[in-house]
Amino acid sequence: MENRPLEYDYTVAKMFMLTTVLLGAVGMLIGVILATELAFPGVNTILGGLGLNEFTNFSRLRPLHTDAVVFGFTLSGIWATWYYVGQRVLKVSMAESKVLMFLGKLHFFLYLLVVVAVVGSLFLGITTSKEYAEFEWPIDIAVVLVWVLWGLGIFGLIGIRRERSLYISVWYYIASFLGIAMLYLFNNMEIPTMLAASPAGETGIGAWYHSISMYSGTNDALVQWWYGHNAVAFGFTVPIVAMIYYFLPKESGQAVYSYKLSLLSFWGLMFVYLWAGGHHLLFSTVPDWMQTMGSVFSVVLILPSWGSAINMLLTMKGEWQQVATSPLIKFMVLGSTFYMFSTLEGPIQAIKSVNAIAHFTDWIVGHVHDGVLGWVGFMIMAALFHMAPRVFKKEIYSKSLMGTQFWIQTLGIVLYFTSMWIAGITQGMMWRAHDEYGNLAYSFIDTVTALHPYYTIRAVGGALYLIGFFMFAYNIYKTMTSGRRVEESELQNASPMAA
Amino acid sequence: MFHWLEKHPFFFAVGVFLVIAFAGLVEILPNFAQAAQPTVGTKPYTVLEMAGREVYIKNSCNACHSQLIRPFKAETDRYGHYSLSGEYAYDRPFLWGSKRTGPDLHRVGNYRTTDWHENHMKDPAAVVPGSIMPAYGWMFTNIADINTAYASQLTNAQFFSVPYNKPVPTKDGGTVTVAMANSVAEANKMALDEAKVITAGMKDKDVQDMVAAGKIPEIVALIAYLNSLK
Amino acid sequence: MNKLYVVGALFVAAMLGFTYVAMDIKGGMNGDIVNMLAIAGAVVLVIVSVFVVTKYVRQMQSDTAGGELAEENWDSIGEYKNPLPMGWAIIFLGLIVWAGWYFIVGYPVNAYSQIGEYNEDSAKANAKFEEKYTSLTAEELHNMGESVFLVNCAPCHGLDADGMNGKAANLHKRIAEDSVKHVVNNGANNLKTTFPGGMPPMLLQDKAQIDAVAKYVANGFKADDAAGKAAFTAGTCNSCHGENGEGMPSVAPKINGWDAEMVSTVLKDGKKGAIGAMPAFTNLNATQVKAVSTYITDISKGE
Ligand code: HEC
Ligand code: HEC
Ligand code: HEC
Ligand code: HEM
Ligand code: HEM
Ligand SMILES: [Ca+2]
Ligand SMILES: [Ca+2]
Ligand SMILES: [Cu+2]
Repeated sequence: MENRPLEYDYTVAKMFMLTTVLLGAVGMLIGVILATELAFPGVNTILGGLGLNEFTNFSRLRPLHTDAVVFGFTLSGIWATWYYVGQRVLKVSMAESKVLMFLGKLHFFLYLLVVVAVVGSLFLGITTSKEYAEFEWPIDIAVVLVWVLWGLGIFGLIGIRRERSLYISVWYYIASFLGIAMLYLFNNMEIPTMLAASPAGETGIGAWYHSISMYSGTNDALVQWWYGHNAVAFGFTVPIVAMIYYFLPKESGQAVYSYKLSLLSFWGLMFVYLWAGGHHLLFSTVPDWMQTMGSVFSVVLILPSWGSAINMLLTMKGEWQQVATSPLIKFMVLGSTFYMFSTLEGPIQAIKSVNAIAHFTDWIVGHVHDGVLGWVGFMIMAALFHMAPRVFKKEIYSKSLMGTQFWIQTLGIVLYFTSMWIAGITQGMMWRAHDEYGNLAYSFIDTVTALHPYYTIRAVGGALYLIGFFMFAYNIYKTMTSGRRVEESELQNASPMAA
Repeated sequence: MFHWLEKHPFFFAVGVFLVIAFAGLVEILPNFAQAAQPTVGTKPYTVLEMAGREVYIKNSCNACHSQLIRPFKAETDRYGHYSLSGEYAYDRPFLWGSKRTGPDLHRVGNYRTTDWHENHMKDPAAVVPGSIMPAYGWMFTNIADINTAYASQLTNAQFFSVPYNKPVPTKDGGTVTVAMANSVAEANKMALDEAKVITAGMKDKDVQDMVAAGKIPEIVALIAYLNSLK
Repeated sequence: MNKLYVVGALFVAAMLGFTYVAMDIKGGMNGDIVNMLAIAGAVVLVIVSVFVVTKYVRQMQSDTAGGELAEENWDSIGEYKNPLPMGWAIIFLGLIVWAGWYFIVGYPVNAYSQIGEYNEDSAKANAKFEEKYTSLTAEELHNMGESVFLVNCAPCHGLDADGMNGKAANLHKRIAEDSVKHVVNNGANNLKTTFPGGMPPMLLQDKAQIDAVAKYVANGFKADDAAGKAAFTAGTCNSCHGENGEGMPSVAPKINGWDAEMVSTVLKDGKKGAIGAMPAFTNLNATQVKAVSTYITDISKGE
């Protein structure tokens, strides 16, 4: 048994790879539509003649974009990689347990159901308005079920593992699981309004799916941003770090630079991250001391974040050769660079005086997309590129296509963040400006029209990124259908790719 | 110790959980006791305003508009007095937003009017040249969901003791009572009465006809809500 | 590798250049400390990122990997037992100490309040302009009025105050015919603080007379409009508004043109009429009201 290489079972990983690509394409397409609508508002009503603009205007589509990319693309990516990495670093195959296999498939199909419900309800405007927690209570219940299934999968697999100690990636997957579970539950405490009875004795009044939050006003905001900030932590940071700790050393064949650095970065991140949520509420009606706490911990947070990124960059020490020749490694190295960039940008924006300008502006949107396009997007695509030859037993269809994609998307990100950086700072300064008489220097609409060029540039940048994503999808598809078959022995480190 | 944890997944998970749960306890709980006290002058939403608030949420206006005036001179000059915690006491959910693609709306009731909103929601760029806000034409025909708004009022009153049918203090030292209906039928009638006041300030003939026929379009509810933001 | 530093430096320079251009168009720093800190933060962000990353890229190019390997090995991924990078460890420790110090010593001692800071800032701003406000020339008032108008009033009255196709009053004129008819038919009592009595409805009921008076008032009391003048007298309008619509203190407003009092009254009380409703603007200070009144009086004279 021990001498024979294990046959890992990638059935569930493949399913989630499919939704990663599909929902990524849909989510980013909507992103490009949103960007175009802000640059050219006529696009909002372009389908007006068909009576569809209720469903295609900016405000209906925006939550669809965020949820499609966060809960569609990113979560699918996290799960696709978990069902791949988990087996390998725990040295146990899903095929060894019928129960785990069944739970994995159930996990996927229930998730699909939730996706359908979410898309439908958001199009209809059924939302609770809380960012990244828009779903009404019936969907929340389904989400919790999906989450429990994943948890059973994780701990079930760990339970039958052969590798006694947990690899770094597994620490991060466990943390994502626990973090989101706790946060999601607390932020979604809501009362279905159909539970109330009128004095006349009527019950079940109004829409059955409608609810109101358990918390009001400032408290609701506090819980929401404790969640919102950490949804970023346990959705966009922790599980993506899990990916890079596996895929970069694996693809490059290099050993992780420092165990100590991994250890301190992990526990440091776990401890510090949760305190920083207050930076979304600076100058709000939340007490000053909580705001200060959010601000101070955000600055401390630079170090545990950079720790992982540095660890990865140092893993590539002396390996410039690989960086220069493999587009797959390029994605990961630039990914950790963008990770460093956005985890320095965030803390800078969390300093009170900077936030006074940055909050509410496009600079925040810029920060968001530095992270999600440069770090989350690049890492997930790199992970799938690495997995494709191994789960399909095929050579990657085209290396040059991958290289072109890399440069197109990098250009897209640069256009996105430079334009939003300038737009945000301009907007923030214009809002504050007073003229020589002490009156506001600009009416609000002046600050809107001034941004038109930057919105246009962003739309172009976003479109480039989307084009790159389609190239990625095509490359994976062709790998699946027409790549050359490869042997297990070719799959040790660097992924085989056709020119 | 850490190395030991890495070999004992259960304790590892417990350790992670303790470390991440700690911050929430320290940062969030202390505020719960005090923050929900309403400021003098803050009153619960009437049934039509509540329905309008739900139209606002349904269309994610909060994606572009904040409702939080920060204590900076530039903001108080533009939007009025900075926001106070107690003003949100009856807001479930809160609607502060996180992006100002459009202006703050926390006190828009002070400086915009029914007829202005009517023109603006129908075609923003015709009122504010260069506006990038979408036009919300369908709100003039979609019917507002009064029943659900009434259910929200009831839930607020029954689960969170929001003072409907009870006097609440006003800024000028007096009191005001926001009435809540006893039945669905009465709620619809109260909403219609409110809607008639709003439509008196509107120009759109079709909207006026609908209200006269007992139907309340979403736009009327939305304007009632926007006017209540002061 | 020198090339990398050059690329890094060029990138930083480009970002700074863009920022400068953006600032330059929009009136610069304005002496605002918040603006300066935000720009400083943005610049630090780009510089630090570019140079730190360049440092690691150079290590990829020229250094070699090495160290003692850990016993474990996961899916053939190894792990070195290298020590922590010193700089990283020191800064991390430093920041933790700083955070602890800030809470235990720094923060409670200089207890900060955002509302306190706001009050200080507003007081400073008010003091700065108080002096200036005492000695504004007519021209300065006009210019200041224009800026108040553009921010507060233009959303309804339009950038050039023409009322945007009847969505609000056209301020180049005192009043439109429809609005005169509306008040004659319905009366009016919007301006309670200045004209507490209000104007009663239906002083004229004959359609021809109403049309005549509306034309007469809206066209600026043309002396040759005999029918209009007659109707004006017949409706006893002159008893309150004066023979030529010049108004009477505390009784009725001037209706043959704008004066500062009428504008400030509308701002104080708001107004509801034939066109729609206008909210009150009590947030403007006395000088701003004077300025915007001057501005409107000026433009209605065609200036
Ligand atoms: C794409 C972004 C966007 C969306 C979505 C949006 N708005 Fe706006 N809104 C703006 C912009 C930009 C302005 C400023 C220009 C203007 O007045 O039209 C504005 C202005 C306003 C104003 C005027 C406020 C003032 O002080 O002048 C109101 C009221 C308003 N919006 C209400 C709404 C409501 C209600 C919704 C949802 C049904 C909504 N908006 C959705 C962008 C948006
Ligand atoms: C009893 C005194 C009185 C009489 C008589 C009277 N008015 Fe007035 N008028 C007022 C007052 C007071 C106002 C201000 C109304 C308000 O508070 O909104 C006013 C307002 C007006 C306005 C509107 C000004 C604006 O800015 O909208 C017009 C036009 C006007 N009067 C015309 C007339 C005409 C024409 C007649 C005769 C048919 C007339 N008035 C008779 C007292 C009077
Ligand atoms: C929400 C829209 C709105 C805003 C903002 C607004 N106005 Fe008005 N204003 C109106 C409307 C509508 C009328 C016409 C009322 C009527 O039907 O007579 C009006 C009327 C007036 C009148 C009286 C015109 C007349 O013929 O009687 C003056 C003066 C005026 N506005 C000045 C201002 C100034 C100065 C500001 C800014 C500080 C301002 N308005 C802001 C909507 C607005
Ligand atoms: C050290 C780490 C980080 C810190 C301290 C930080 C800090 C911040 C701050 C201050 C804001 C703006 C709040 C506001 O004024 O509205 C913000 C917003 C945001 N950040 Fe970060 N950030 C960090 C890392 C990241 C990363 C790596 C990502 C994504 C990959 C990310 C995604 C986001 C998102 C999505 C928002 C927008 C939230 C909203 O909807 O308003 N952040 N962050
Ligand atoms: C093709 C690429 C993309 C484009 C053009 C795009 C465009 C946009 C636009 C226009 C907005 C709204 C900003 C606003 O309200 O002003 C937005 C918001 C957002 N997008 Fe994207 N997006 C893209 C990809 C992604 C991806 C891949 C992710 C995540 C993995 C993502 C996550 C988000 C988030 C979290 C927000 C909310 C930000 C906030 O509230 O501050 N986007 N995006
Ligand atoms: Ca929910
Ligand atoms: Ca946001
Ligand atoms: Cu955050």
